[in-house]
This record gives sequence, C-alpha cells and structure tokens, in this order.
Amino acid sequence: MVFNSFTFIVFFAVILLLHNLPFSWKTKKVNLLLGSYLFYALWNPPFILLLWLSTVVDYYMARLIAVEQRQLRRKLLLTVSLVLNLGMLSYFKYGGFLLENFTALLSALGISFQAAKPDIILPVGISFYTFVTLSYTLDVYRRKFEPEPSFLNFALFVTFFPHLVAGPIVRPEDLMPQFHSPRRATAQQMSWGLFLLSLGLFMKVTVADGLLADTADLIFSLPFPVQMLDAWTGVLAFSSQIFCDFAGYSTCAIGVSLCLGFVLPDNFRYPYASIGFQDFWRRWHITLSTWLRDYLYIPLGGNRHGAFRTYINLMITMLLGGLWHGASWTFVVWGALHGLFLCVERIIRQTAGRRRTAAATQLAEGIVINQASLAPPVTSGSAFGQFMLAMLTLFFVNITWVFFRAPTFNGAMLLLLSMFGVIPNGGTMLTTTAIITVLTVTVVLIGCHWLLRNSSLSELSKRLPWWVMSLGWAVMLILVILTQKSSGSFIYFQF
Amino acid sequence: MNATNYVKTAWLTLGLVLAFVIGWEMYWRGQGLPLSYNDDESMWASKRREIYGSTPAKPVVIGSSRIKFGLDLSTWAHTTGEKPVQLSMDGTSPRPMLTDLGNDPAFAGTLIIDVTEMLFFTPDGSFPEKEAIKRVTAYPNWSLSQQAGFYMNRALESSLLFLDDRNLALNPLLNLLPLPARPGAWGGPQFPREFYVVNRDRQSAMTPAFVADTALQNKVKAVWLDVGAHSPPNPVDGPALTAILDATKRSIDQIRARGGQVLFVRTPSTGIMREVEKKMYPRAKYWDRLLAHTQTQGIYFEDYTSLNQFVCPEWSHLTPQDAILFTEALIPIIAEKTGWPIGPKLSDNRPNPSTFRL
Repeated sequence: MVFNSFTFIVFFAVILLLHNLPFSWKTKKVNLLLGSYLFYALWNPPFILLLWLSTVVDYYMARLIAVEQRQLRRKLLLTVSLVLNLGMLSYFKYGGFLLENFTALLSALGISFQAAKPDIILPVGISFYTFVTLSYTLDVYRRKFEPEPSFLNFALFVTFFPHLVAGPIVRPEDLMPQFHSPRRATAQQMSWGLFLLSLGLFMKVTVADGLLADTADLIFSLPFPVQMLDAWTGVLAFSSQIFCDFAGYSTCAIGVSLCLGFVLPDNFRYPYASIGFQDFWRRWHITLSTWLRDYLYIPLGGNRHGAFRTYINLMITMLLGGLWHGASWTFVVWGALHGLFLCVERIIRQTAGRRRTAAATQLAEGIVINQASLAPPVTSGSAFGQFMLAMLTLFFVNITWVFFRAPTFNGAMLLLLSMFGVIPNGGTMLTTTAIITVLTVTVVLIGCHWLLRNSSLSELSKRLPWWVMSLGWAVMLILVILTQKSSGSFIYFQF
Repeated sequence: MNATNYVKTAWLTLGLVLAFVIGWEMYWRGQGLPLSYNDDESMWASKRREIYGSTPAKPVVIGSSRIKFGLDLSTWAHTTGEKPVQLSMDGTSPRPMLTDLGNDPAFAGTLIIDVTEMLFFTPDGSFPEKEAIKRVTAYPNWSLSQQAGFYMNRALESSLLFLDDRNLALNPLLNLLPLPARPGAWGGPQFPREFYVVNRDRQSAMTPAFVADTALQNKVKAVWLDVGAHSPPNPVDGPALTAILDATKRSIDQIRARGGQVLFVRTPSTGIMREVEKKMYPRAKYWDRLLAHTQTQGIYFEDYTSLNQFVCPEWSHLTPQDAILFTEALIPIIAEKTGWPIGPKLSDNRPNPSTFRL
C-alpha cells in the first residue's frame, strides 16, 4: 500500500479510529501490528514471511546474545543474524547482479557459461527493514542497551507501517521506548501530522510525479544525444523529482506517525542548500548516512588510523552505500563519486586549515601581502559566497544523479556529453512548458532549501499567521487533487 | 504551529478545499463536459483479468484506438449475449499484448486483433510498442492495494466529472498555457477535450459536441497531420518486417495450440489518413502478407459494402452512431467467415446511439 492511494486513506482512517478508541495499550499495539502487516501484505502477501523470519530470528538472537557471556558464542549468534539478514538481502537484491557479473567474468576469461536468468522479485522495503533489524542486533551485541523483552514491541518496531518500506531507517532507541507507554496524538500533533502528510503527498503526487517525472523519464530514456538545455533540464527534473519523491515519503511517514502519537526521526534537512558533500550527507537521507557511519565507517576505523585509511574507509562506505541503492554498477559509480567528492573536500578543508594557520602565523610576524583586485573577493564566509558554494555542491550532486538515474553507462555518458556541449547537435526534445515547469520547480526548491537551511518548517509555521498557513495547506491539497495521476510507487521502494 | 491556532488552521483548510472541489465540479458541469473514466493501468488490468472466460461470443479485443471507437460493446452484447473484453490501447501497437496472451498458458480463448498498420507494424523499441509493453508488464504487479484503490476510484469517477485525468488534471491544464512553442520540440498530440469519452468497459466514443462541430474535427485532423510529420518517414520493411511477422505468428500459434482462435480486423479510416495509409502501407505488402504469414483469417473493411459505408469525421475513428452500425454489420461477417457461434441475427430493437452508457 502506498500513501498516495485511496486504499491508504481508508486504511489510515480505520487505524486512526482504532487507535483512538478506549482499548488497552496492548490491544492498540496489536492493532497497529496487524495493520502494519496488512499494509505490507497488500503488495505481495508471500513476502510477509520474510518479514516474520527476520523479526523472529533477530528477536531471539538478540536475547541469546545478551545473556551469553562467552565472546565466541556471542560472535557466532551475531553471525547467524547477519548471515540471515544479509543473506536474504543479497539473494533477493543482488542475486541476479552477482550471477550476471560472474557470467561476464567467466566470459572474459574465455569460459563459456550460460546461466538461466533468475526470476527474482525484490520484496518491497527489504533494504530498509534489514537495516532496522541489523542495527538492533548489533547494538545489543555492543551492549548499547538490553534486548527488548516484549516480542510485541519488537515486532512493532520492525514492522510499524509508516517507516516499514522506505524509511526513515529508525534506530531501536528512536522508536522502541515509545511503545512502552500509551501514546495518542494531541490535537496539535494530529493537526501537524496531517499537515506533514499533506506536504508529503504534495511533494510526491504534484511535484515529483505530476510536474517532473515525465521530463526526467523522457530525457533519461533517450538513446541519442540531446541539446544542452534539454540535458540539463532532464537532470534538474530528476534532481528535484528524487528529492520530492523520497523526502515526500519520509514526510508522509513522519506525519502519519505523529497522527498516532509517535515521533520518527528527520530524514532530510534541506539538502539542496548543502555547502559541501559532508554537509550534503548530514542533510540527505540522514538515517541511512548515520547508519552507514555508525555500523560501517566507524567500525572500519573511521578517521582514527591516519589520513590514508580515512580515505579508504570513506570510499568503502560510499561504495557500499551506492550498492545499497541498487544492484547495478551505475549505483556503485554514484557512490564512488560521492566518496571521491568527500575525500577531495576533506583534503581541501585540511589544506585550507593549514593555510589559515600559516597565514595567522605570518600575520603575527608582521608580513602583510596586499593583493589588488578589480572585484570584491567572494569569500566563503559571506552569504553570497556561501550560496555560491551551495550551488557548486548542487552542481556536483547533479552530476552524480546522472549515474544514479541512467539505465546504463552509455546512457549516462551520452547525457553528460550533452550537458557539457561536447555533442553539439543533439535532439530538441522538451517543450517550452516542460522547461519552464522544471526550472520553476528547481528555483523554488533551491529557494526553500536555502531559506530554511538553518531553520525548520515547524519554526516557519510558528512565524506565519494562521490563515496564511491554512491557505498554503489548502493550495497544496487542491494541487494534489488536481494532479490526480500519480505513479503507484515511490522511487525508493525499488531500493 | 502555535498551540492556539491549529484547530482554526485545519478547519479553514478543509473549508477551502471543499469549496474548491465543489466549485470546480460545478464549473465543469456547467461547461457541459460529459463524464469520462480514466483509461489507466488499473482499468486495463481489471479487463486483463477477465480474459480467461473468453469465447467467440465474448472475445478478447486487442488493437489501437480505432477498435475502441468502432466496436460498440453494447451492440455486440445485444447480439451475442456477452460483452467483449476490450484490451486495446490508444496509440499503441497490439503486438506486446499479443505476445503476452501467447505466453499466458491459461489463455485459450477467442482473440480479435485490430490492425492499424502504422501502429501494428512499428519496430521493436518504438514508442507505440514501449507504451503497450508498460501496460503488459505492469499487470502481474497489480497489487491488492491497487485493486482496492481502483474500485474506490471508480466509484468516485462515476460521480465526479473533474476526475478526468486526460482533460482536467494539472498537466493537461498546464499544456493549455499560451506559451510560445519551442522550435523543433514536439509535446505529443493535444486533442480537444470534446474529442471523446471513455466508458467503464474501455469503449471510447466521440462526444455529441465533437460529432456536431466540424471545427473541432478539423483540430483533430490537424493533430493527425502533426503526428504524421513527427513519425518515421519510412515504414518498417525487410528483416524488421519479417521479424514482426514471425513474432506475430509465434504468438498466434501458441494460442491456437491451446485451442484458442484468432481473427484480424481492419477497421475503417477515411480521407487523407486513408490515402497516406494506402501509400505507406500497401495492402498486399502488409495486410495480405500478415494473413498469409500467420495463416489467419482477416476482415478488411473495404472488402464489405456494409463495412465500407462510413465516413470518419476526423479521418480515423467512427462516430458512436456508426460504431453501432459497424458492429451490427461486423458480427454476421465474422460468423460467416469463421463459423464462430456468436449468437442470433440482429433484432430490430437495437440500442439507441444516444444511450452510450458510461
């Protein structure tokens, strides 16, 4: 079931009703759990067995790990959990990819091998709930907290429908304690939750699907070069589409949870106003980047073993982060580019830091070098300089999106060459309406991100007159109703 | 949000949205626009699910838009007792659907294939083929949630006129903005909204306003000329054509091997469209070869006086009135040509053309 469907409206109304009836807290949690299974089963009922398997195994493994004192046995139990979770993920998500590459490798070695193409369907949300359960087992193994004694609470933590299929990737400490005592949304929470749900739907239905998807799909599907304007418009369309699609889902999830009285963590914080890639990953898919940091980058050694190892660790983390998004080499390249940009940024920051130290030393010694300039210097400290740095970051982010979205490397290269005018006589594909629509959305999106980058929507809403807020809310809902057409799926479901 | 204003905010929002919805619906009703169903993936999937009870009296129909306009399902049902399963799709090639039916081991029914040469004989990877493939590949993934949503949506669509996504959704409205055309860019065909409506059986019918207004008809003729100007200048030929014929034969043979039956139908077109079709797709090279290669029978409208008496107002599709006459004439021809037991002869109390039911 997706948030942007009539089915969900009915489902959510029933869940809200049940949650607000005078049942016991345990009954309400059972309702939420059964509702969550129904929410998931309405995609493909058999895959609910995988969810159950993952839930049951991790619940009991964590309990066994917690009571076990022998280190070897603890490691063994953790390995069982890891093998099961990562094994399922590998089979369903990477089975075909591995086989394809194995066949290609043998072929390169001159060995003829033809394997039957595996007919594997990717269970929706497997990448997300695998990471949720893994974080629980790993944290219990690290003795960060005691295992959850209630199976109901644990199952609900894994399965809670708002975050189940596309995040935010919740941590046990974020959500599980909220199941310990009765929760019901206050009128304010309910109202804000419904506003967030409306905003998320607006981002997904109207902006991502209605205004941008066709343009992005067209440009990325072409097997021939296009004009520079078309290429950039297509990439900008996808850049805004993926943000509105994914952040829209997260916003819906947070809003839906809030209506039930639960708080989910933020997943996006105006990423298109990021200054640098480090900042970008603090703002984009925050729950994934922090997961990768805590369970991969830091265990690999983080920045504790010198510069070279730090760069290696960064690259490994981002490569695997890329592969998490999909079983394709284009995702690996996307991750590699982000890793590379993070490394370069780190080098620049360290070099600049050393220079500042040297300059301060020189100044202290009384050596002042005057430089003549026709224009005032653009320093990264000024608002304009900061904005330009944000735009530079966004420029490189958009380059990486080409690899993320293009179905093949050839397609990606064709588009990149078109974007930089290397192929001059490409096709003219986009209409005036499409170009103006994409550029308007892009400018408005960047403007919103820039204005809110150090603030939040919640704070903004407090500053606005209530009727202005209401007007904005109504306009969003009207546009959602007007758009009508929406794809049945969110982009991140495929990951 | 301030703790003091949230109730007012939510209520005003609800009031504004309701006021807009009511006003918007009333506006379009006032414009006299007829109600139309969204012919989307879910609607197609709901019909795709019905193919297994297919018989000569209830054939599965695949093709392009012409058979959606030209085959009047109520007239067919009036004669045979059952309505065909309409799987044709506007602007697409029926070949992916034929492949799908051929590969479906459970399909052993009766299939009518509408042939619009410029769409049927499109090379692999072309837009008309890819669009049909999207529908076909989406069907196995039609989830329970989508199915439930489809029936809820249908209930709303049957009452609310503004839920016409082809004409009244945000994107079609944006396309009406008077922006200068970008030289060299083509956004696809833009039909006047009065052109046609779609009923719940996926039959298309021109609106009374369209049938009565030659200016609107001329707009659609201009669209066809525009489509022609943006289509490949040379029809598929040589090995690519042979490959299409081979693939078609393969699927038909699969259906026949399971006891199914197949018939090709060429529905009417007139005017400049017909002249262009004759020139680009000469009958001997395409239609006759298709029948011979696949060893399948076919009904070509020009071979029968009763099917060749119609004038398409915009060169390509029949009016609702003519669709009834065409269907009435087609059924006995099919019965005679194939021997299919498709009901008694037409009675005189045929349905009134004005009762095209949504």
